[in-house]
Amino acid sequence: MSEFIKVAIDQSKCLGIEACGGCLRVCPVNIFDKKNDEPVIIKENEDECTLCDLCMQACGPNAVIIHKLYENQ
Amino acid sequence: MRLLEHESKEILGRYNILIPEGDVVESGEELKIDGPVMLKAQIPLGGRGKSGGVIEVSSSGEAKEKIEQLLSTPIRGYGAKKILVEEKIDIAREFFMAVTYDTVAKDPLVIFSQEGGVDIEELSASQPEKVQKELFTVRARLPQYRAREIVSEAGISGRILLGLGAILSSLADIFLDYDATLVEINPLALTGDGKLIALDCHIEMDDDALYRHKDQAKKLALDNRYEGGRKSTDFERKAAEIDSLDHRGVAGRMIEFDGFMGLIIGGGGASLTAFDAVKQHGGKPANYCEIGGNPSVLKVKELTKHILTKKGVEKIAIIMNVVSNTRVDLVARGIVKGVLEAGRAPSETVAVFRVPGAWEDEGFKILSKYGVPYCDRSVSIDEAAKMAVERAKP
Ligand code: SF4
Ligand code: SF4
Repeated sequence: MSEFIKVAIDQSKCLGIEACGGCLRVCPVNIFDKKNDEPVIIKENEDECTLCDLCMQACGPNAVIIHKLYENQ
Repeated sequence: MRLLEHESKEILGRYNILIPEGDVVESGEELKIDGPVMLKAQIPLGGRGKSGGVIEVSSSGEAKEKIEQLLSTPIRGYGAKKILVEEKIDIAREFFMAVTYDTVAKDPLVIFSQEGGVDIEELSASQPEKVQKELFTVRARLPQYRAREIVSEAGISGRILLGLGAILSSLADIFLDYDATLVEINPLALTGDGKLIALDCHIEMDDDALYRHKDQAKKLALDNRYEGGRKSTDFERKAAEIDSLDHRGVAGRMIEFDGFMGLIIGGGGASLTAFDAVKQHGGKPANYCEIGGNPSVLKVKELTKHILTKKGVEKIAIIMNVVSNTRVDLVARGIVKGVLEAGRAPSETVAVFRVPGAWEDEGFKILSKYGVPYCDRSVSIDEAAKMAVERAKP
């Protein structure tokens, strides 16, 4: 559904919402939600990502990665 | 949005402010009140009394005739579709009260005068001592004790001080609760038997807050409010709905025109410059539409799609001044996504994208990927408009 941005979470590295939940707390445009104890991406909001990097800074184990789909990575 | 007198008075009633007994009628036949009454044409204008929009009559026979007269005689370009019929009030004294915004102090301002039925600007200029003005804050509101102090400072004392203070405090509540830009009672009458009754009321609501007041906003679409002025088209109303999808920025202040070039242009003077430039170069705008203040990708996308639904619109030009608080890349995302969702090709559909400023490099990457013609600040608004018109030629 997103055209420009893909936000990926490596669940194997993630500490869980209860223990951390940083990404969910800091994102200014509601891209993260929680499902049980895992952070999940709200797909229809992904293209609102402002590339502010707050989620990545909040994530100690570097589990969040932002891809710019328009950059042909 | 300016509410009509009877709509404003309905709100006063909800806050327990007394209003004259009355009825709203759409023809003389509907008249129920007998005896001497006031007939008031319901049009969104001040100074109705002076222009013949308020008539006093002594019997119901005369009232029926004058109602028909008011309904059939336009006043300064407006035709009433409803007449407010009210009992005649025995007036002993009149006051003025209003709440508005002081845009310099950036706080709500309450104004009270011991003389009502007056032009308050004139009175303020000629006899400023008669007009009491006081700022209050949105958080503290205007408690009754503070309202009473204001009334008292205007030279009012005695029992009536309590009544006036209560009404003034409620007026401030209405102002805040309804996201108004102006709430005015002029005059507020003290009757022979000591009651305070609002004889006329004028409420203006902030258009940007109408999404929070759906019951009021839907009145704008009613056909039987009044005639005249310019009413929003369905196309414009849909754009306003898009703008109210979320609180971020502005995307949807739309005016519909009968041309073919869709426009999304930066707010303020630049949008007028861009619009004029498109016309100057022979383009025929399908619309005027402001964006600014960093709208969400969603709103820009929906707006783009909406403009492309208008019959005959093949191309859309996006022109803004150099922006600092609107992200170029987020606007670019919204435009491209809107065009794609409308089932068109961005490279063919966007006539020009001239939005220089914050995050433009990122924005230009997106536009290049989709083959959208864009330019930076070295191309003026006028030149960009010319490019758009050239590209829109069949
Ligand atoms: S970069 Fe910012 S806007 Fe994007 S997902 Fe992370 S916190 Fe949200
Ligand atoms: S910030 Fe990182 S570790 Fe914390 S919940 Fe989000 S993904 Fe998991």
